[in-house]
Amino acid sequence: MSDAVPRALEDGLRLAMPFVAALLVGSILLAITGRDPFSTYAELFNEALGGQSRIAATLTAATPLIFTGLATAIAFRAGVFNVGVEGSFYLGGLAAAWVGFAWIGLGGTLQMLAALGFGALVGGLWMLLPGWLRARMDVDEVVTTLMLNFIAIGIALWLVNGPLLAAGSANSATPMVLAEARLPRLIPPSTLNAGFLIGLAALVVYGVWLRLRVGGFENRLVGLNPRFARSVGISVSSVILLAIVLSGVIGGLGGATHALGVVGRFSEGFSPGYGFTGIAVALLGRNRPVGILIGALIFGALTSAGTTVQLFADIPLDLVQVLEGTVMMLAVVEAVRWARRRRAVRAVAP
Amino acid sequence: MLDNVLHAAILATTPILLAALGGLINRQAGIVNIGLEAMMLSGALAALIAAHVSGSWEVGLLAAAVAGLISAAPLSILVTRFGANEIVAGLGLNVLIAGLIGYLLSDFYGVSGTLRLMPVPTLPRIDLPFIAGVPVLGAILSGKDVLTWAAWILVPLTALLLTRTRIGLRLRACGSSPATANSVGLSVPNLRDGATLAAGALAGLGGAALSLGLVGLFSEGLTGGRGFIALAAFYFGRNRPWPTAFACILFGFFDAAQIRLQGGGLPPELVQVLPYAVVILALTLASWRRRRGPSPEP
Repeated sequence: MSDAVPRALEDGLRLAMPFVAALLVGSILLAITGRDPFSTYAELFNEALGGQSRIAATLTAATPLIFTGLATAIAFRAGVFNVGVEGSFYLGGLAAAWVGFAWIGLGGTLQMLAALGFGALVGGLWMLLPGWLRARMDVDEVVTTLMLNFIAIGIALWLVNGPLLAAGSANSATPMVLAEARLPRLIPPSTLNAGFLIGLAALVVYGVWLRLRVGGFENRLVGLNPRFARSVGISVSSVILLAIVLSGVIGGLGGATHALGVVGRFSEGFSPGYGFTGIAVALLGRNRPVGILIGALIFGALTSAGTTVQLFADIPLDLVQVLEGTVMMLAVVEAVRWARRRRAVRAVAP
Repeated sequence: MLDNVLHAAILATTPILLAALGGLINRQAGIVNIGLEAMMLSGALAALIAAHVSGSWEVGLLAAAVAGLISAAPLSILVTRFGANEIVAGLGLNVLIAGLIGYLLSDFYGVSGTLRLMPVPTLPRIDLPFIAGVPVLGAILSGKDVLTWAAWILVPLTALLLTRTRIGLRLRACGSSPATANSVGLSVPNLRDGATLAAGALAGLGGAALSLGLVGLFSEGLTGGRGFIALAAFYFGRNRPWPTAFACILFGFFDAAQIRLQGGGLPPELVQVLPYAVVILALTLASWRRRRGPSPEP
């Protein structure tokens, strides 16, 4: 019997299972607190996709997740467990905002490009340390990148409360960026902006890089079997270093588009955990470009719908967090394999 | 001034130390617990509500331990029975529990973020006669709550548990060589579950040290990354109880000093990142030492 159909089914099941389970957990919570799960979900669905403005809001919410999901996936492919995209996103956003308001006189598109570029650069540089430590010193990157998140957030908070604080501003925020630095909006009045297109372009480049370029193949090989990669002459440490720095570049670019496209500046609480949601996105999408896009859209839909449902239906937005957390916990569960093993055991011992 | 800082530093150490002891037991059994933050948070909330309803802090502590344990259960089961990645599942637990708590707070209490319940029996502090008046020593030993004492008594007990008892040796076997542990008939998943549940209970008590011991209320940002500081502490202490406790004291001191150093010296945002920076430094040094030659440690 052909193995192709069960495998496709298995892939689909892997993608759907965490969501089904999360919706189940959510409906239990809704039912306990005296709400009708079905009408709530119907409303969420309607708020996420009902009409042009709602779809635009969903795409806007998905944009940062495309970047953080892609950033995480690039590292995962090379076998590097980078959980520090949040930090790159923060610092990339701050750097872009700074160029956007402080580099007066660049003018025109150059202002925007410089801001985007500087954000990506800072995001990449931020990953240089853990990349180098992992590649040359064999220091576990999970802990260093996790810790670097908190350091990045601390540094950003310090800068935005002191040297970069907008004059006369009571809350911790930089001045607004110049109009030339703002990313153009795609469907005014919605906040959907060119950042979404940049994200799509990055996904396409990633897909091409994986398939065609030698670098993409090396990257995958190092992730799959580092010892084999070394023995065929690939410099494993350079590939690892490149993957983690590229991951930071994409994370920084994501922060930059968020600052220039949505917020218009950098402010405290810049990211509500986009970097961490990106991990779930990458895992669900199995590091593939289309998968990342689907994952980002699903989480984006949840966020944008959750925000309006909270306003109009008095359902706490935290419901979205519950769903998201459940998906993250289940995203990596080998449930299918587990079920199959159970079957195999039962077949042996009836 | 010094007495003040010392007193505050010891109290600030307690929540971190309790969570870190749980985390190190867990890590010795082979699981890195990234969900300590969530377990602390649910412990903090459960302690406050239970203490308010029952009027007794003892019940509050019990509820905190149980809440921490319950939050740890899904993480443990997913990791040991379903092959989930412990890092991602732990991060997911933090998101899930934070969301759940936010949802329940706004649904049951109609508050967003902060829950104040009056009256709440806070943890009693034990004033030692004679010693209280001695400078430095008095600041260190006197006026501490019961959880602080419990936490420090647990440090040598954890060391004993891990090195001198059957269960401790079994736990460590699971961590250092799960295949061997399995082949001599130990149930690695069961032992790891036990370690994670213990970590949950201890982290829950750490949360109670915050809500019932230090502040007397609950807020969504109450733990403020202390679960990750605890993680930093046992990484720094290389999973051994006394070095970990030393790291906790150091981080507790940063915590206490940062409130008092405002205006002069370092900005508080940068003092807050010190524990995380220390861990990266410690990991780098450990790796450097390892690469220079065979480690002198067993």
